Amino acid sequence: MSKELIRLRDCVMSYGDEVVLDHINLYINDKEFLTLLGPSGCGKTTTLRIIGGFLSPTAGDVLFDGVRINHVPPHQRTVNTVFQRYALFPHLNVFENVAFGLRIPKADGSGRKVKVSEQEIHQRVMEMLEVVNLKGFEKRPVSALSGGQQQRVAIARALVNRPRVLLLDEPLGALDMRLRKDMQNELKRIQQEMEITFIYVTHDQEEALAMSDTVVVMDGGRIQQIGTPEDIYNEPKNAFVADFIGESNIIDGIMRADGVVEIFNRRFQCLDKGFAKDEPVDVVIRPEDVDIVDENAGQLRGTVTSVTFKGVHYDTIVDFYGFKWLIQTTDYCPVDSRIGIKIDPDGIHVMKKSAYSGMFGDYSSYSEEYEELDVVEPDGEDGEESDSREGGHEE
Amino acid sequence: MKKTNPIGGRIFIGLTFLFLYLPIFLLIVFSFNAGDSSAVWRGFSLEWYAALFHNRLIMESLYTTLLVSLLATAIATAAGTFAAIGLYSLSRRRRDALLVVNDIPMMNADIVTGVSLCLFFVAFFQGWGTFAQWFNGVQSAVELPVRLTLGFTTMLLAHVAFNIPYVILNVAPKLRQMDKNLVDAAQDLGCTWMQAFWKVILPEIKPGIVSGALIAFTMSIDDFVISYFTAGSSTSTLAMRIYSMTKKRITPEVNAVSTLLFLSVLALLVLNNVREIRQERRADRQEVREPSLMEKLSMRLSSPAGKWVRRGLTAAMACGFVVVVALLTGATASQPVVNVCSWGEYIDEELITQFEDATGIRVNYQTAESNEALYSLLKSGGADYDVIVPSDYMISQLMEEGMLEELDYSRIPNFQYIDERFRNLPYDPENKYTVPYSWGTLGLIYNANMVEEEPHSWGALYDDQYAGGVLLINNSRDALGAALLHLGYSVNTTDEGEIREAFALIAGASRRGVFQGKVMDQVFQKMEGGNAAIATYYAGDYLSMLDNQADGVDLRYVIPEEGANWFVDAMCVLKDAPHYDEAMEWINFIASTKANLANMDYIWYASPNAEALEQYPAYYEELYGEELDPELYKIMAAPAEVLERCEMYLVLPPATRALYNELWVQLGT
Repeated sequence: MSKELIRLRDCVMSYGDEVVLDHINLYINDKEFLTLLGPSGCGKTTTLRIIGGFLSPTAGDVLFDGVRINHVPPHQRTVNTVFQRYALFPHLNVFENVAFGLRIPKADGSGRKVKVSEQEIHQRVMEMLEVVNLKGFEKRPVSALSGGQQQRVAIARALVNRPRVLLLDEPLGALDMRLRKDMQNELKRIQQEMEITFIYVTHDQEEALAMSDTVVVMDGGRIQQIGTPEDIYNEPKNAFVADFIGESNIIDGIMRADGVVEIFNRRFQCLDKGFAKDEPVDVVIRPEDVDIVDENAGQLRGTVTSVTFKGVHYDTIVDFYGFKWLIQTTDYCPVDSRIGIKIDPDGIHVMKKSAYSGMFGDYSSYSEEYEELDVVEPDGEDGEESDSREGGHEE
Repeated sequence: MKKTNPIGGRIFIGLTFLFLYLPIFLLIVFSFNAGDSSAVWRGFSLEWYAALFHNRLIMESLYTTLLVSLLATAIATAAGTFAAIGLYSLSRRRRDALLVVNDIPMMNADIVTGVSLCLFFVAFFQGWGTFAQWFNGVQSAVELPVRLTLGFTTMLLAHVAFNIPYVILNVAPKLRQMDKNLVDAAQDLGCTWMQAFWKVILPEIKPGIVSGALIAFTMSIDDFVISYFTAGSSTSTLAMRIYSMTKKRITPEVNAVSTLLFLSVLALLVLNNVREIRQERRADRQEVREPSLMEKLSMRLSSPAGKWVRRGLTAAMACGFVVVVALLTGATASQPVVNVCSWGEYIDEELITQFEDATGIRVNYQTAESNEALYSLLKSGGADYDVIVPSDYMISQLMEEGMLEELDYSRIPNFQYIDERFRNLPYDPENKYTVPYSWGTLGLIYNANMVEEEPHSWGALYDDQYAGGVLLINNSRDALGAALLHLGYSVNTTDEGEIREAFALIAGASRRGVFQGKVMDQVFQKMEGGNAAIATYYAGDYLSMLDNQADGVDLRYVIPEEGANWFVDAMCVLKDAPHYDEAMEWINFIASTKANLANMDYIWYASPNAEALEQYPAYYEELYGEELDPELYKIMAAPAEVLERCEMYLVLPPATRALYNELWVQLGT
């Protein structure tokens, strides 16, 4: 991939005793689509605001093109942002919203303020409205637009300034499912067409996997894992990542040898190597990697406790020795039936024990967990309801 | 649930609104009354509105009111808006705490706000005086004014102070509604904070700012109490002027100006409500609409092309502000001025204009409510008058305390016309400090249709046959004076026994229910309307009652055989008056025969000018085309033999004054 554009070096953000970002180290390449992914309060929005210039880190450096920009204010950065709920200017129409940035005289190389001519403004705004499929809407007040259209205006408003980097803070959070999928494709298309760096914040792992070149999984102010979507999904580094990205059964295991892991006192073939002998580990088994077979043919045997039809597959909860697994399969197994399972070696992923061990991956309270996943709040929204800390640092 | 009674409910609502609005409705109706009665309808007329615009005191105070309201609104709106933005950036807990603090001044009693601001200013002036003296002492390049007084500036500051909370109250919700990210977005798109403020925050919170400004303006126009305490002696707002005009009687002119005030405040409120309703509707409909002219203008101004226009406007506004402030402070310095404090309705205002035209000296004419109010104002150091017109006993007191300046009689040639009878009076035996302004007697006023026989003695005041029909004058000196005279003592006695005896006379009558009440200004309404039989009051006021008496009322005036009090109000100049020369010119002008004639005709009190006294009947005849009733003229200007029976109040020693107060309090209401 191309050269490095932004680097966060040992960035710490704290408010009093509360550490919001804990030694973040991260670099972002030019023209990359990078996603900061994590649950509410993980520090992803804070990271984005540091890059945008709305916050400066308590410690550490922010480098842009190798230059330290910790204290450069937002209006002097060649970075633009698409805000959570768009933050369109309600008193201006679509055209004027998009033209807003162009109407502000900017300093050129020699420090002289230059104005963009009306003619150029018109041309660039119309071009940008075409890119976001909003031709013909220029005279509309933004309050008369649908959510998706407002989203496009927000993107056009940011991109018309030709930023090096576009920051997107949960931009699709307020849209319904269908629109979201369309906008994901659209965003990807725009990013590729315009050839600029996108830094995207979301709590939606599917969105992150679908769009990104690089995914940064965050939790508790720390980066948990950085990698391509495939890496993150297939090789999660710890129970948190495994659980947060897709569905995972996470089971305690013991590494008996390279390529051999023991679960429930049974040995399974796997592809993982490099652990100490008899090292306790977390074992991740994705629900779709489990094959249901006849009870007697299975490596493990269990009882089906619930079945939910999901369209493409059934979500089947199976009780193995008191531990409940989620299995996604096209085969229907009635509740209370006894089944066996088989797992291929490449369906097993072994992780070192971490602080997150034992916290995730149990489907005993399956339905509740599902709800929890659905209602994760977007990051900044908890500011008002939570303690005074939030009110204190949000500008 | 009990079923409500719709008819009963409606009647109740009707009565409530009647109770609320009937008085205002009456006031409006009577502002169009042709006569000058505020009780009897004499036909439709706009004369009082016309009179209003020729009344320079009202117009002057209207100007003051508008100026202070506009300036205070502008300053408070700017300050309040930024304060609200500042509050908004605080943490929620601190913001909420501060908003509560912000609410307190709005709920606080105006009188507390007024008094505390007054105290604050006076304390500041004291400190400033010390500093300025020291500063002027150590260097000579800049001369700082040492003596600061309450005035327009302090009133403006007070208005700004009480307006800011209203602006914050209106702007804060708009900020709360505003998407926090808007400011970030603007900065993200290249704005500095200030640019973001002009381009994004301001348009967003504009409705709040406008309604805050409207409310602030309304509050400013409406305010009386706080202005009263902070305006000092030489500034009057419209509300203060109306108050001083109602001291004697509510004239139709007051009705007219009150009507206009009511209507303008009503208009402001309606305007504000209509705006709010429109905004709500707009928010509901999210309608696609053409921007209004103002919005187009503001859009144009916020575009880069409008930058110069905007800068120009800002500069123009700043210049305008500076000019106004300069006019307010500088004009007084460059144009000669004289600060006069007199009583309400106590001068023919034409005279002020004539004086100004003739001399080029601007007259800042203010009024006080009573000798005592004037005295406490002078003592508090809040007044910067040159000429005052206190009554005899108060003059002695001020002289004793060294508060008066000797007059330069060589510059008051018109003093020669002052009748011998009014020179070298007990309050100023060598006549070094005073030029008499007017004089009169205190007598019995009675309604001939309500008494059996004409009363000749002060005893009528305590007579059971008039039980419930006597008005006791609500002024310890006058009330006790009458009783002392009735008992055959001097009004100036310091003998405690005599005073207590006089008091017992009043207290006894009071217990027996002789008195209808203790009144001052209500005496006009009561006597004119035939609601009381007998009262003690001043001759000049009797004459104006006579003009307004209702049908079936026959008011008469008598100086009782025991004698009465007579009084002189005289012009004096305060020690260290800033405009001594101008004060001499004013006094000389007012002492002239011409001015005395005009005043006598206007206020119905007798003039001390011998020529004017002699010429008045002829002057009257020429003016009104009818002969002046000689009997009435005798009441107005008591002949020498009557005056001989009368006694003037002298200043009482502190112990006696304390006794008067103590007894008066005992009497209760």
